[in-house]
Amino acid sequence: MKRRDFLKTSIAASTAILGTTVLSAGETRQPIDSRKVSDMAFPEKRPLITYSDRPPLLEAPRSTFTRGITENDEFFVRWHLPDIPTYIDPDKYTIKINGLVEKDLEISLKELKTDFEQVEVTAVVQCGGSSRSAFTPIPGGIQWGSGAMGCAKWKGVRLRDLLHKAGLKKEAHWIGFNGLEKAAYYKTPNFVRELEIHELDDHVIVAYEMNGEDLPYLNGFPLRLVLPGYYSDSWVKMLSDITVTDKYKSLFFMDMAYRVPDNKCECETPQHHFKPTKPITYMNVKSVIGYPENGMKVYHNSEIVVRGVAFDNGTGIKSVFVSADAGKTWEKALLKQENGRYAYTEFRFHHKPTKYGKLTFMAKAVNMLGKEQPFAKEIGWNHGGYKYNGIDEVTVEVV
Amino acid sequence: MKKLLLIAILFVGSLFAQVEGDMEVPYISYQIKMGKGFNAVQANCLMCHSFGYILNQGPQSREFWHKKIEKMITHFKAPITKKDEKIVTDYLFKHYGNGKIK
Repeated sequence: MKRRDFLKTSIAASTAILGTTVLSAGETRQPIDSRKVSDMAFPEKRPLITYSDRPPLLEAPRSTFTRGITENDEFFVRWHLPDIPTYIDPDKYTIKINGLVEKDLEISLKELKTDFEQVEVTAVVQCGGSSRSAFTPIPGGIQWGSGAMGCAKWKGVRLRDLLHKAGLKKEAHWIGFNGLEKAAYYKTPNFVRELEIHELDDHVIVAYEMNGEDLPYLNGFPLRLVLPGYYSDSWVKMLSDITVTDKYKSLFFMDMAYRVPDNKCECETPQHHFKPTKPITYMNVKSVIGYPENGMKVYHNSEIVVRGVAFDNGTGIKSVFVSADAGKTWEKALLKQENGRYAYTEFRFHHKPTKYGKLTFMAKAVNMLGKEQPFAKEIGWNHGGYKYNGIDEVTVEVV
Repeated sequence: MKKLLLIAILFVGSLFAQVEGDMEVPYISYQIKMGKGFNAVQANCLMCHSFGYILNQGPQSREFWHKKIEKMITHFKAPITKKDEKIVTDYLFKHYGNGKIK
């Protein structure tokens, strides 16, 4: 073969492998699922899939999706700025509420736990970029698999009760939240989130407990905002300041990050990024298989129990369907829903493989509004790589 | 056996870790490519984030890396000089590029 021919062939071959990624349209496929947990554990954590130490970025492995509640030491971690305080004294910690309020407040942790009604909510928290590795061309940002999510029982006080105690002024319209993480440079913008007052219902809490324990340090000890149904970008950790304003402040992390195209498919092409954009806000319906895992071997004629979790933004999960024939036929999985509509719905599905070789399971959740998960390839590309919710696939070998 | 013992100790250690006294996030030494421009990368990027943040973006175009650096300067206020901006872009594209200019 002449060198030129060889080049031609290899270009053709690589195009075949990459599909249309070298052309214009963005593509979507199954997120990367081959990463292993690290051999080093972070404080209060088991070894997790580790992307960065500063800021810390840790992903939970697939096996965590076999349970309706994610253990604190397996819960994913995502910070934005490099400096997280190395010491927090819970006896001295306070949260400040100011701005357009009748009286400024500075509430200690102890007062928070004694002076207000204590409430609990079980809710899923998921990074908007979870499963980002499903998109090609590769969008900027950490190439997460599907483990940038978890579900916990949060305990704390209603945000509304705190705001009520401070007394909102008539002009109050926006609430800003800031935590203790700091940048290396003074001029770098803080990771402040702003929400409109009408977005904050009674389910929004300021939480100090997660699954019956203090919040793990890396999940925002001693206080974090809990916004059931929302992606995690607004669940501010180490929450220290709540500021009430009448006007929206222009903020980098609100204006530039965590946004998707403001069109029906929330999609665009790599060449022409769509404008305007909108914040990612609510989670779409999604399910992930926890067991079995890709590459596992299972016995012919044995009873396999496919297990996983499903959730949406709080309308609730109506059904989960599982396919054992690559999506040709679907059957209803058994559901366990005991922690409310913001929590994981656990699903299980029994299957006895009767053929040797590769076997692919797929899971598809449908919510109470009838919204169902699309196949990965049906999801439009967006340049932030946000909101992937494709039908999950796991392939095992029957031996 | 020695290895097993070590794993056991690590496990126990993490099991009882509590927020008492200082809590520091461990430092990870990432395997990053050496080469022309590395010093500028170390001096400018490491101030704010680990090499893990770079390695886990996936292979990207020259334009992507250049825009990332511009973002660090414009939005995150990183004091990166014009000269270093080019050096760092060249380095990132050479070692963590996808071969495409755009």
